[in-house]
Amino acid sequence: MPKRQVSLEVTQLDNFLYDMSRCIKCKGCYWVEHTYMPGIKFPTRCPSNTWNAFDSYGAFGKMRIGTAIAEGRLKWTPKLLEIIYADPLCGACDVGCKRNLDLEIELTLEALRMRAVKDGAGPMPAHKKVAQNIAANHNQFGAPHENRKRWIASDIKVAQKAELLYFVGCSGSYTNPEIAQATAKTLNASNTPFMIMPDEWCCGNTLYSVGMIDEARELAQRNVEAVRQSGATTLLTSCAEGYRMWKVDYPKMLNIATSDLGFKIIHLVEFADEMVKKGALRLTQKVDLRVTYHDSCSISRLCDPWTPWEGERGWMGTVSPPLKRRRGAGGLYGQARNILSSIPGVKLVEMPRMKENAYCCGAGRGAKEAFPELASFSAKHRLKEVREVGAEALVSACPWCKNNFAKAVKENGDNVRVLDISELILGSLGV
Amino acid sequence: MAISKEAYKVMESIVGSEYISEDPAICEGYRCGPGGYECGLGYERVMTKIPGAVILPRTTEEVQKIVKVCNRYKVPYVPYSTGFYGPRSHCHVEDELLIDLKRMNDFEIDEKHLYVVLGPGVIYSPLQEEAMKRGAYVVIGGGGAQASVIANLIGDGWSPLSHRIGLPHRRILGTELVLPDGELVKMGSLAVGEDPFWGDGLGPDLRGLLRGYTGLRGCLGIVTKMAVKLLPFQPERLIPTGISPNTSLALPEKRVKWINFQMSSKEAQVKAMLEIGKAEIGGAVTKVPLFWRAIAKAESKEEFWQIWGKENESTVKNFHIVRVLLIGFTSEEQMEYDENVLNDIMKELGGIPRPTKPSDESWIKNADSAGMWLMCGSYVSVDYVIETLSQATIHGESYAELKKKYTPPLMPDYGDPGWFQSFELGHQGYSEFLIYWDQDEDTTGVDHFYVETAKMNIRERFYTSLLGPHQPLYLTGPKYGPNYHEWLLKIKDEFDPQWICHPPVPLAHDVFVERAEWMKPIKDWKLPKRKFELRTSR
Repeated sequence: MPKRQVSLEVTQLDNFLYDMSRCIKCKGCYWVEHTYMPGIKFPTRCPSNTWNAFDSYGAFGKMRIGTAIAEGRLKWTPKLLEIIYADPLCGACDVGCKRNLDLEIELTLEALRMRAVKDGAGPMPAHKKVAQNIAANHNQFGAPHENRKRWIASDIKVAQKAELLYFVGCSGSYTNPEIAQATAKTLNASNTPFMIMPDEWCCGNTLYSVGMIDEARELAQRNVEAVRQSGATTLLTSCAEGYRMWKVDYPKMLNIATSDLGFKIIHLVEFADEMVKKGALRLTQKVDLRVTYHDSCSISRLCDPWTPWEGERGWMGTVSPPLKRRRGAGGLYGQARNILSSIPGVKLVEMPRMKENAYCCGAGRGAKEAFPELASFSAKHRLKEVREVGAEALVSACPWCKNNFAKAVKENGDNVRVLDISELILGSLGV
Repeated sequence: MAISKEAYKVMESIVGSEYISEDPAICEGYRCGPGGYECGLGYERVMTKIPGAVILPRTTEEVQKIVKVCNRYKVPYVPYSTGFYGPRSHCHVEDELLIDLKRMNDFEIDEKHLYVVLGPGVIYSPLQEEAMKRGAYVVIGGGGAQASVIANLIGDGWSPLSHRIGLPHRRILGTELVLPDGELVKMGSLAVGEDPFWGDGLGPDLRGLLRGYTGLRGCLGIVTKMAVKLLPFQPERLIPTGISPNTSLALPEKRVKWINFQMSSKEAQVKAMLEIGKAEIGGAVTKVPLFWRAIAKAESKEEFWQIWGKENESTVKNFHIVRVLLIGFTSEEQMEYDENVLNDIMKELGGIPRPTKPSDESWIKNADSAGMWLMCGSYVSVDYVIETLSQATIHGESYAELKKKYTPPLMPDYGDPGWFQSFELGHQGYSEFLIYWDQDEDTTGVDHFYVETAKMNIRERFYTSLLGPHQPLYLTGPKYGPNYHEWLLKIKDEFDPQWICHPPVPLAHDVFVERAEWMKPIKDWKLPKRKFELRTSR
């Protein structure tokens, strides 16, 4: 068999023909990894296929659909677009597949959306509205750009120049100022000077995730250049989606390695964990709360650093040069748990599905905008686990998760508090 | 003929519009596709179709109604639980209805009497977890932890744990079967009451019907409910550890332990298995192919080939490992006793213990069948046999010899004779022969090898599990009776007079050979053309 040139370039669906054709329907993408299978109650980890039971909504169905699209056997229809876009691209399928088969499922799903946009079928109308908002106001929500720094309260010290740059993100700036404020105050409490971008724009998460690669790449170039010019050595986010964009998808779009960005990307949980260990952050105030932690997908199974790769596929499907697969093992699984366990009074209880097996809230990557019913279903499904373990509070490390869970709690009438980890840290600092 | 609008409407009224679809994108998701068990071969390319419609029933009553509608409107159908079993569990004819049973996931455990009642949508690993929470266990079938429990039990239902647990018919209790015409058959104690606790009912044992032409690939109805016997395990929890892909169960070493022994010869290996069985110790006694070890060690496909490339015919020939799982079912003392007995046996036979991790990666809760595709991308267990232990090993060696002629396209495995193990405390031996290839190569040789193995089995007088259902029936049938094939066809005609349920099984492989030009050179058996066409054209 002649060798074939392949790469991980997501703008070309053909790069993933091998991956799509080798899916064996083991449904490792759908079930919780069997070693960790918690029992009959919470056996799945795929929000899309739990929401809609037809096989087409699982990654195994999408691999077959992707092959049909690549071979020109399937036309774009509203149903097909629903199958491709009613999906938070949470990465559960990707780590599941790489437990045994090492197929590039996540990249294939991204490539399918790129192809939908390229063919003029995608994205969904709700995504186009987000794109318009970003183009007009540099934020996802269409809020006035001049309000972006309104979250900065008078008791927050922001340096003009510092090694650490806090990228606040659209949510922190507009819908979740409490997260931005708690993050900034935590930085202040650790005596770590930080700056923000003089003119921060959206990270482009939704644009990239729905396949609008040209628009997303423009933002990536602009934002990376701005950080390089700022002289920052470290960029910190408090949003999981933003973290993944900076650490994985920007390098992917710019065809560089994460290590070539010129600055380090960290999430608040990494920073706080390190500071607590060093004694620079003292979590002394008691917080009497039985909490459970929800692993946000983009700081767990989706955040292994990016390295560009192109090469050849040959005999038995082997590739050369060697390809180090991103299997989700580098996720920030321990940091948040360390922090929560350090807070006096906090009793951390785990849900049946956790870490790389966690069940996504369903809000991310364009899913909530176009399919709010999927996001609502997923959050409510996850809340059943929260009730199962008797937690008083559900803690996550992403505003998208927080907002989606909070809405579901309100609709359910649940007696559960929904918190971002930054708020708990701040509460325990007693600042 | 497409599924008529009228038939579709009636079926929609049974399950609701949310659970039936004929949308091309929905149907495409149910394509068998070139990836998977036995996929990427001629049979998959020639014999599989995408469904004309997909329906997801929730209850036995719904299944009955759907099947009756199929009979009334002559809509061929195939039941489907997880779709893992490759081309043979997918549609074979145009405009076939695929009945996806995943919503039938009821699960009720009777802790006191140790059995569970479940639907075809329940897979193994949740069942095992629920069982182990209660100090009980079941087999995780070789098909994998992701296999439907019912589909696996009516087809195969064994694993290394079958050394002690035994074969599936001992664990299948009260069962509901919707026959191909929609009639409901209740088996075991369900035949006389609501409690499915017992497998035997009044009159003849109908459990033989379940396997049909090997169960999930069969065409004798749809099992909608089954009570499955659980067996006592031990009380300590097995703790999941690690982050994917490096996960395992940490074993409580005083109650559960794997030990590997290197034996000096195949004879010593078989003798050790027999002696362990005689002593009635152990939860599993097995010898796996050497390349499985390379799969377990490798981080990637490329690394597998680096590791495997260091092996040769000699290392494979001299790989005489016996892998034993000890379980302290009743106490730590019992476990200690078993280990002492095992060590005595091994001392006598010259078995040398090898370092073994205090963990379980496969067989207790997770059967890693998906890992079989890592090496080449394509795989099938071409056959398996349940025999005496000493005969079982000969079966694998015969296969290895035949395989040489077909390598490549088959994977170079240096003559590995496959997997063999003890069943039912050594009273039976199990041998399974696995083949691997790259589907991007010319797979004619693999298609030929498959059928040639049937001829080899007939020649060497092996009665294997797949010889009937996975091979041309007119090749194998006349050699078994001489009218084995006629009986199978009569049974099919009796239960499914319209051949509505998964046609053209049990003549599917015959049809494949007739349709595939490249199979003609090896077709040297007779086919009664008129009878054959009459049946397969319905």
